[in-house]
Amino acid sequence: MTSASVPAAAAARRPAGRGYGFVAGLVAVAAIGSALPLLVGSALFLTLMTQAAINAILATGVGFLVRQNGSVSFGHAAFFGIAAYVVALTLKHAVMPAELAAIIAILLPTVLAFALGLVIVRIVGVAFSMLTLAVAQALYELLLKWRELANGDDGMAIAFPARVFGVDMATFQQPHSMFLICWLILMAVILGLWLLARSRFGTLTLAIRENEERARFIGYTTVVPRALIYAVSAAVAALGGLLFVLYNGFVSPGTLHWSLSGEALIMAIIGGPRLVWGPALGAVIFFFIKNAAGDFTDHWPAVIGTVLILVTVLMPRGVGGMLVRLAGRVGGRRSS
Amino acid sequence: MLINILNGLVYGGLLYILAVGLVLIFGLRRVVNFAHGSLFMVGGYVAFAVAAYGGFWLALVVSVAVLAVLGVVLDRLVFRPLQHEDPIATVLVTFGLLLVLEDVVKTIWGKDFLSMPTPTALAGTVTIAGEIFPVYRLMVILVAVLVAAGLTLWLRASRIGLYVRASSVDPVTTGMQGVDTDRVSAVVVAIGAGLAGLSGTIAAPLMALSPSMGSFILIDSFIVVVVGGLGSFSGAFLAALLIGQVHNFGVVYIPWASSMIPFLLMVGVLIWRPTGFAGGRA
Amino acid sequence: MIAPGWAIEGVGLTRRFGGFAALDGVSIAVPPGEIRGLIGPNGAGKSTLMDVLSGRAQSWSGTVRLGGVDISRLTAVERRRAGLARSFQRTNIFPDLGIGEQIRLAAATAERDNSEEVMAELGLAALADRRAADVSYGDQRRLDLALALVGRPRVLLLDEPAAGLSMSESLTLAGILRDLAGRWGVTVLLVEHDMDVIFSICSRVTVLHLGKILADGTPDEIRRVPEVVTAYLGSTVE
Repeated sequence: MTSASVPAAAAARRPAGRGYGFVAGLVAVAAIGSALPLLVGSALFLTLMTQAAINAILATGVGFLVRQNGSVSFGHAAFFGIAAYVVALTLKHAVMPAELAAIIAILLPTVLAFALGLVIVRIVGVAFSMLTLAVAQALYELLLKWRELANGDDGMAIAFPARVFGVDMATFQQPHSMFLICWLILMAVILGLWLLARSRFGTLTLAIRENEERARFIGYTTVVPRALIYAVSAAVAALGGLLFVLYNGFVSPGTLHWSLSGEALIMAIIGGPRLVWGPALGAVIFFFIKNAAGDFTDHWPAVIGTVLILVTVLMPRGVGGMLVRLAGRVGGRRSS
Repeated sequence: MLINILNGLVYGGLLYILAVGLVLIFGLRRVVNFAHGSLFMVGGYVAFAVAAYGGFWLALVVSVAVLAVLGVVLDRLVFRPLQHEDPIATVLVTFGLLLVLEDVVKTIWGKDFLSMPTPTALAGTVTIAGEIFPVYRLMVILVAVLVAAGLTLWLRASRIGLYVRASSVDPVTTGMQGVDTDRVSAVVVAIGAGLAGLSGTIAAPLMALSPSMGSFILIDSFIVVVVGGLGSFSGAFLAALLIGQVHNFGVVYIPWASSMIPFLLMVGVLIWRPTGFAGGRA
Repeated sequence: MIAPGWAIEGVGLTRRFGGFAALDGVSIAVPPGEIRGLIGPNGAGKSTLMDVLSGRAQSWSGTVRLGGVDISRLTAVERRRAGLARSFQRTNIFPDLGIGEQIRLAAATAERDNSEEVMAELGLAALADRRAADVSYGDQRRLDLALALVGRPRVLLLDEPAAGLSMSESLTLAGILRDLAGRWGVTVLLVEHDMDVIFSICSRVTVLHLGKILADGTPDEIRRVPEVVTAYLGSTVE
C-alpha cells in the first residue's frame, strides 16, 4: 500500500511523536465509556454498545493488519469463531477448567494464524484477500457440516461454571457490567497495539509494508515479521471471540461466516485503518447506523454496502483520518 | 466412478467459465472483482425470469447480454475511476456492490430457493459405459470447452486479445503502446461479466437459485484463480478442472470435510509454488 | 587467484533468460578499499551483475565471495548482514517512514549504530523528522545511499546513485562517496552512466558488453581501448 502520492500527508504518521496526547485521549475515552452504564439506564442501549465493543475488538485486529502489513483480510471471523468454539467444545467435553479454556481460546488461533501466515503473507495484495476469505469459509463449512463435532447450524449452548476467573458469570452476561469489561479491554488492546506500532518491530513491519524488497536489502527477513503481525491481529480477533462467547453463552457457525469478517473490515474502513483506534471508532459508527436504520434493517446489507462504497471513494482514510486532519487544521498536530 | 468424473467436469466447467472472467479483468486492470459471484447469481436470476416467458435459449441470450451491459457499466463506474488507486479500493467497492446486488435480488425474487427447469431439448439422459448421465450436464461440459477454445482463439488472433495477453504479462510496457485502454477495458470487462452471466444461466437448472449462491461459487473460483496463478488463462483452466474433481470427490466420499479439500489443495500448491501453477507474478 | 586478497569477487557468473545470456561467465574481483567503476551500454549486464552479487537474482551459476568467503548460497538478507550492501537504480526507499526512522532501522542490523554520523555526512540530519515522500528527489537519492551505507558495510554495490541528478549534484555526491569510502575503508562497485563521476572517483574501471567483460583497467587505459570507444563511449547514453 505505497501511497507516496497521497496528498493527505497531514493525516500520516508523525515519526517519533511524543504521544502523551494519545494516551491522555485514550484515558479520557475509557473514562467516558466507563461512565456510560451509570448515565444511561437503557439496557437496550447498553446491549448495543456491548456488541459494538466486542465487534470493535475484532475490527481493531483487522485494521491493525491493514495498518502494519497493508493486507486486507476477508477472513478474520475465523479466529473470532475458533476462539468461541474452543470454549464451547472444551467445556462441553469437560476436558479442562474454563479459565484454561479461555487462555487456549486465544493461543490456538494465534498459533494457527502464525503458521498460516508463514504461507500466505508471501502472497501480496488482492490475492491475500482472496486467500483469507477461502480459508475462513472452509472452516465455516467444516463446522457447519461436521454435525457430530459442533452440532452444525443449530450451534451450541455453553454450560459455564458459576464463576470464571473468580468473577460471577452473571457479570459477563449482563450488559451493564459486560459493557464496562469489554470497553476497558478494548482500550487496553488499542494501547497495546499503539505501543507495538511505535516499537522498532512496528517500524520494521511498516517498512516491509512500504517496500518489502528494500527491507530485505537493509538486512531484514520479511516473512516472519509479517506472519507475527498476522498472529497478533488474529489474537485480538480471538479475544473478541472469547468475550462474545462469555457474553452470549452460545456459539453458532455464523461466528466464522465471511459476512462477519466483511462487517469487521467495513468497520475498520469506515473508521480508518491507518489509525490504531480508527476501526474501533468505525465499529461504534457502524452500530449507530445500524440502530438508526431501524425499519430499514431488512435492507441492511444494501445500506452498509453503500456506506462502504461511499467511504472508500470519498474518504479513503476513513472518518478517523478525517478527524485527525480537521484537528490538525484547527490546532496543533496530533499523533496517531 | 466415470459419473463422478463427469460431474466433476460439470462443476469444473462452471468454475472455469466464471474464473476466467476474473482472470481477464485481473490481467487488464490488476484488480479482483469481488462482485463476480454476484454477477453469476444475477445471471441465474435474469435467466430464471426470462425463461418463464421465452424459454431457456432466449434466457441464455438475454442473460449474457444483460450481464455484458452490466459489465460495461461496472467498468465505467468502478474500474476506470479507481484505476490509479490502490487495487484494494476496487476490492472494497466491489465488495460493497456484492452486498447491494444480493439485497436487490433478495428484494425482487425473495430469499426462498427457486428452481429452473432443464430445457426440454436437453432433458433426456444418455448411457455412458453402462451408467446413466443427463444430456444437459454433457452440454455444460461442452459449453465450457467451447468457451475455452473460443477465448484461446480470441486471445491469439484478435488485436484486443493480443493486448490482453501482453498486459497480463507486463501491464506497464503494454500501457505505453498507444492502445485505447478504456475501449479495451470495456470490452474485456463486458466479456468477463457476460461469461459470469453464462455460467449463472447454465448453472441455474443444476442448482437451486438463492441470493447467496454467488458467494459460495466466488470462493471456489478464487481458489481456482490463485491455484492457477493469478492472471494465467491456462493455469485457470487446469485449476478449474482439478478443483472440480476434488470438490466432487469430496462431496461424494467425505461430505463433512469436502469444503476443506480445495482449501488444503490450495495451501499445498502455494507452499510448493507461491505463485500458482503458471508461476506468473504474484 | 588468491581469494583472501579480494573484498568482493565473482567467478564465472552466468545468468540466462531463456536462450539469452545476460551474464556470460563474468569474473570480477575488487581489492579492499578500491572504488571500481562498472560501465557498459544498456543491456550489457551491469544491473544483472549487481543482482547476482547482492543476492537479488533468482537463478544463476558461478561463485560469489565476500572477503574470501563463499556467499553464493546466502540470501540477500544474509549477504547484507555479512557486510555487502547495495543501492538501486530506481529510488528505493520507504516513502511513508521518517528519514531518520528508516536510517536507524537499517543501522539496527549492524554491530554499531552510526546512523547519526551517516545522516550528518550525507546532509540528511536536518531532514531526519521529515517523511521520505515529502523531500526532494536529490534528498531521496541521498537517503537511498544512506540506507546502503549505514552500518559500515565492507562492500557497497551502487547502481547509478547519480541517476536523475544535476551535474553539480552528481559531482557533490561523487565527492562524498570518495571521501567516505576512503575514511571508512569501504570497497565500492559503482555502476554509473555519468563518465565524469566514474573517471573522477574510480581507480579502476571494468567494461561490460553483451554479458561479457570487454576491458578492465585504469580510467586512462579504458579511454584508450578502441572497442570501448565504439561500444560504449561512442554509443548513445540513456
